[in-house]
Amino acid sequence: MTSDEFLVRVEDLVMHFPIYRGVFQKQVGAVRAVDGISFSIKRGETLGLVGESGCGKSTTGRAILQLYRPTAGHVFYGDQDLTLLKGEELRRMRRKMQMIFQDPYASLNPRMTVGDIIGEPLIVHNVASGKEVQDRVENLLQLVKMNPSFATRYPHEFSGGQRQRIGVARALALQPEFIVCDEPISALDVSIQAQVVNLLEDLQEEFHLTYLFIAHDLSMVRHISDRVAVMYLGMIAEITDRNTLYANPLHPYSRALLSAVPIPDPVIENSRNRIILEGDVPSPVNPPSGCHFRTRCPLAKEICAEKTPELREIAVGHFAACHMI
Amino acid sequence: MPELLLDVQDLETQFKTPDGIVHAVNGVSFSLKEGETLAVVGESGCGKSVTMLSVLRLIPSPPGKTIAGKAIFRGQDLLQMSDDDIRSIRGAQIAMIFQDPMTSLNPVLTIGRQLEEPLELHMGMNKQQARDRASELLGMVGIPRASDRLGDYPHQFSGGMRQRVMIAMALACNPQVLIADEPTTALDVTIQAQIVELVKRLRDEIGMAIIWITHDLGIVAGLARRVFVMYGGYIIEEAMVGELYANPQHPYTLGLLGSLPRLDDFEYHRLVSIEGLPPVLYQKPTSCPFAPRCKYVAERCLKENPMLEVVAPDHRVACWVDPKTGRIRS
Repeated sequence: MTSDEFLVRVEDLVMHFPIYRGVFQKQVGAVRAVDGISFSIKRGETLGLVGESGCGKSTTGRAILQLYRPTAGHVFYGDQDLTLLKGEELRRMRRKMQMIFQDPYASLNPRMTVGDIIGEPLIVHNVASGKEVQDRVENLLQLVKMNPSFATRYPHEFSGGQRQRIGVARALALQPEFIVCDEPISALDVSIQAQVVNLLEDLQEEFHLTYLFIAHDLSMVRHISDRVAVMYLGMIAEITDRNTLYANPLHPYSRALLSAVPIPDPVIENSRNRIILEGDVPSPVNPPSGCHFRTRCPLAKEICAEKTPELREIAVGHFAACHMI
Repeated sequence: MPELLLDVQDLETQFKTPDGIVHAVNGVSFSLKEGETLAVVGESGCGKSVTMLSVLRLIPSPPGKTIAGKAIFRGQDLLQMSDDDIRSIRGAQIAMIFQDPMTSLNPVLTIGRQLEEPLELHMGMNKQQARDRASELLGMVGIPRASDRLGDYPHQFSGGMRQRVMIAMALACNPQVLIADEPTTALDVTIQAQIVELVKRLRDEIGMAIIWITHDLGIVAGLARRVFVMYGGYIIEEAMVGELYANPQHPYTLGLLGSLPRLDDFEYHRLVSIEGLPPVLYQKPTSCPFAPRCKYVAERCLKENPMLEVVAPDHRVACWVDPKTGRIRS
């Protein structure tokens, strides 16, 4: 494995959030949001990260960018281990990695103009100043297909889709290589989702960006990703390229998840056999022993409670974590 | 022949805002037959929820007002009857469930109390009967250990379970019509599949009619019999579900279907986006409300707002242009 091919490598990443109780604020447990996951992202590709709410997909994105400092494990960016970097060194790496957030209403400061929002990273990182910032901002607005004169307006004057474009422009300001897109389209209407996804695809081609695309919409993830990782309760269940995952899902959770997604075609819908999972996702404070999915798994046997399944390479480039495969 | 249950004609609802009067629903007509599942599809602000809330007279007034139209339910006009009469129909004969079950449940009352109260009030049951029926209802919607959970509070249930409780409450008085306003939008996809299966099963068991409001054309495909698509406060296309997906006629419907990636698509297609934004109508439009975003726009579209016209059996479209040929319809 050369660092040329892989831009980001995650090794045994663990992210636990401690829970404190009582007068002495003693730690009584931890939310085990991410519980030991490993994967890598190739330069220039889009890795989709899917799973249901609370499965740890957003936490993974934030822990990669060191917005949370991981409890254990390593995140390599090129050959640098981000978990060992601090202060100025980390700040310098941050220029190369950016994030686009889910909620375009909450992620833009309502008291700043669009120009200030997009220009702020340039000033913070001392990349540009004065008139230069203004020029760059106008450039960036054009890049996301907005009118450069919007720089003097405030976020509340824009619709959700336009705000998400502003968020994209801000993420691009420092000419990053890697962008974590954390559910960038979930809050948008269907016709606007397509606009933003097409924009992200165009930008990726133009600037050779690498994306980690976090979402719960499997159809959209299939559309935009080269490879897809499926997460369940802090673990990775399966990783493979997009067509293999949809044609030949191996993990019982991937199968159930895919079969639950409606397809906009009544002929197909009426002939499909759904795998309906029983119950809800267990709490990450106290996940089931062994395989985290075993409590809802139709195939579960004794071994699943005793041993945590390893993520194994079942076919070339197709990894799954299940004892029953 | 199933009987006509609900017949809505020329419904118009407006909201007074500081910026002017917003024309949210602009003359919507539709009907619902006994046991039928009807889906209403559209994006935020298209008037799909306001239409149904207007029918049930649940629009807060002021600022909202239904200024015209009829909503005939079993021979009676819901819009003209007294407040007491509509209250006896709401919840009893026409029930509604909403997107966010947490805001629709009272957080300080137990689930049991909230289920039993309407049974005692509407159905005249005594405490024991109400309790038995409540636990039966929870069992029906697939809540395990139903009788033990009557004493629990809403926060002790997960999102999917809360939506089940809401459905149990809606079914409490054996309604003939269930209006579901995006009931699965806030839920995860595996939980959504559970709820959709549940509603289908209950529909077939009880034989109630359903109006399912959604923005998700995927869910509609497997659930509805008839669909109508709304835009800018108008119904712009209406068809049987198979016909709508096989032969969409309105440029907006075509655009919606094109902007959806499909899970079963092995080849990469670039998504067809609809440029621009949905309108906020401060005036009743004199042109087609979709014209500014439409790829097929013709001169006539800017002069006259098209009305729904029959283009095929059971298929009506409000558009001057035939998107297949690009020519004005004759």
